[in-house]
Amino acid sequence: MSTHEAALTAPRSLQKRLLSTVLALVAAAWGLAAAMTWYDARHEVSELLDAHLVQTAALLLMQPVDELEDKDLNLVPDLHKYQQRVVFQVWNKGKLLAHSANAPREPLADLKTRGFADNQADGEAWHVFVTPGHRSELLLQVGELQSTRTDVVVVSLYSMIWPTVLVLPLLVLGVWWAVGDSMRPLRQLGEAVAGRQPQSLAPLATAGVPPEVLPLVTALNGLFDRTTELLAAEQQFTANAAHELRTPIAGIRMQAQVAQGATQEADRAQALVATVQGCDRATRLVEQLLQLARLDAESASAATAQCDLAEVARSVAADLEASAQARQQQIVLNLPTSIVVPLAEPLARVLLRNLVDNALRYTPDGAQVHVHLYPAAVPGAVQLCVEDSGPGLTAADISRLGERFFRVLGTGRSGSGLGWSIVQRIVRLHGLHVALDRSTQWGGLRVRITWP
Amino acid sequence: MRILLAEDDELLGSGIRAGLTQHGFLVDWVRDGVAAERELITGAYQACVLDLGLPRQDGMEVLLQLRTRQVDTPVLVLTARDAVSARIAGLDAGADDYLVKPVDLHELAARLRALVRRAHGQSVTRLCAAGVELDPAAHRVWRDGALVELSQREYDLLHALLLNVGRVLNREQLEQHLYQWGNEINSNAVEVHIYHLRRKLGSGLIETVRGVGYRIARDAA
Repeated sequence: MSTHEAALTAPRSLQKRLLSTVLALVAAAWGLAAAMTWYDARHEVSELLDAHLVQTAALLLMQPVDELEDKDLNLVPDLHKYQQRVVFQVWNKGKLLAHSANAPREPLADLKTRGFADNQADGEAWHVFVTPGHRSELLLQVGELQSTRTDVVVVSLYSMIWPTVLVLPLLVLGVWWAVGDSMRPLRQLGEAVAGRQPQSLAPLATAGVPPEVLPLVTALNGLFDRTTELLAAEQQFTANAAHELRTPIAGIRMQAQVAQGATQEADRAQALVATVQGCDRATRLVEQLLQLARLDAESASAATAQCDLAEVARSVAADLEASAQARQQQIVLNLPTSIVVPLAEPLARVLLRNLVDNALRYTPDGAQVHVHLYPAAVPGAVQLCVEDSGPGLTAADISRLGERFFRVLGTGRSGSGLGWSIVQRIVRLHGLHVALDRSTQWGGLRVRITWP
Repeated sequence: MRILLAEDDELLGSGIRAGLTQHGFLVDWVRDGVAAERELITGAYQACVLDLGLPRQDGMEVLLQLRTRQVDTPVLVLTARDAVSARIAGLDAGADDYLVKPVDLHELAARLRALVRRAHGQSVTRLCAAGVELDPAAHRVWRDGALVELSQREYDLLHALLLNVGRVLNREQLEQHLYQWGNEINSNAVEVHIYHLRRKLGSGLIETVRGVGYRIARDAA
């Protein structure tokens, strides 16, 4: 059934479906059994009654048939309810010589017939056995009403059908109960899920769950696990975001209040400088959040623009030169005159700025940051490499980079923990390859981004 | 009052230190959880402002360690986590008060004064003995209703003695109230300040307990 059809027809209850299927199969089996019984019984009864007819004929042949009188035959006592149905005629050269009282006067069967025959006589259907007498001119016809034979078979069939009719309702009840009972684990599962607290993500118990239902429970528990993880990540993000957004604002507010309450002009000036620094930091944070939001909304299909990465790198280095010099840090460029990559110029700027800024931020005073740009081994490929002489990162820290707002603690540097998320987002959008490891030459962190 | 500030953010930390100093607190500032725990277990601080998101050791862990070692210095937790569950967890871990960033400087100072007061079993805001009255919020002292001008250190000593009214404080304990990192004090500083206090507030207020230290006697009820 296609999903379209499934949507149109209302789903049937499993219990009803099972019940109707089982009952239909039982009815079919019973019907087949009845048909076979009918066939067998008719065959057996037929043989039996044929034998009986032959026997009657044999007995009659023992008698001097030509001497029989009608009245003698009528004296035969009724010994059985079927007895009246058996008739005979004795013919002599086409003349009815003798017959039983209940026999019709016309021949039961054609006089030329020998052996068994079915025939109409006197408006009734007969099964007839015809045999010549001990004198060749005599002909004996022993007949029996067809309806008698049918009655016997029907009676035997009835004896088989009436218990069935009696038992069938019990069977319906029994199957209904058994199917309902088998469905209980499913109902219990439904009730357990429906009865949960909306925020509950505890796994469902798997003990005592039948193997047919177990995959469903396991799948549900898997879903609960993943939801729990997602929720935890979401909560972690919210907590981190709260910390990163509130801390600079708290700092600005505190510094402003210090300025308000300062009695010395020098204290006031210092607090105001700190207030402005705090505003700068908050601004940078907001900018990064906006960049990230824009990148999240952007699709790779829009990224058809190109830019000269070497030019952008020089420009970014010039922008950051002042803050590097303030801490006696050095930005060393190793760039070709021009290298064009498929990346929009503003994104290239954001990418390089975050990489170099992170390197400057998390390396000590006097550190070096190297930016190389060169064609990679594969023709047409370009590799950007930013490495520093700082302390580098542990493997654990590297694995957590890119968690938004994650910062390596104890660096003594202000930062939002968003820079690397932004880099990762740009890399992913453009199908670039990024590798993080320890710089073999400078000992710090090495970031390599490759354009395929 | 000597306060330990545990805050890793440069901007906020320097702001709190400057602000609390304006409110007459002596503030020592540590930037990570390990240092915070190391300083707090000395018991030299009247209170602590503890940020929860500290490097090296989370603020919550510092709090648990402190309470496990039965250091009962009042702790005011400063955090960005404003979820009710986070506050409950903080208070249950042994925090005495909880402020969500951004905080108001005056509120922070008032809450710290209240924490210190409650930690000394005082329920009234003004501390009184022998006709001398000290208002921690206004940072002022009166003698028989007349305002008395005290230097910051004199005020700190008087405040410490009044908070522990009836108890003897030795010289080391009193020095802790005067001492701040990077701000060394002379060996006879306590004696000098006590001398000035007696001159300004009358010689009967502060008793010398020979060989032990100093005490302000509890007023006869």
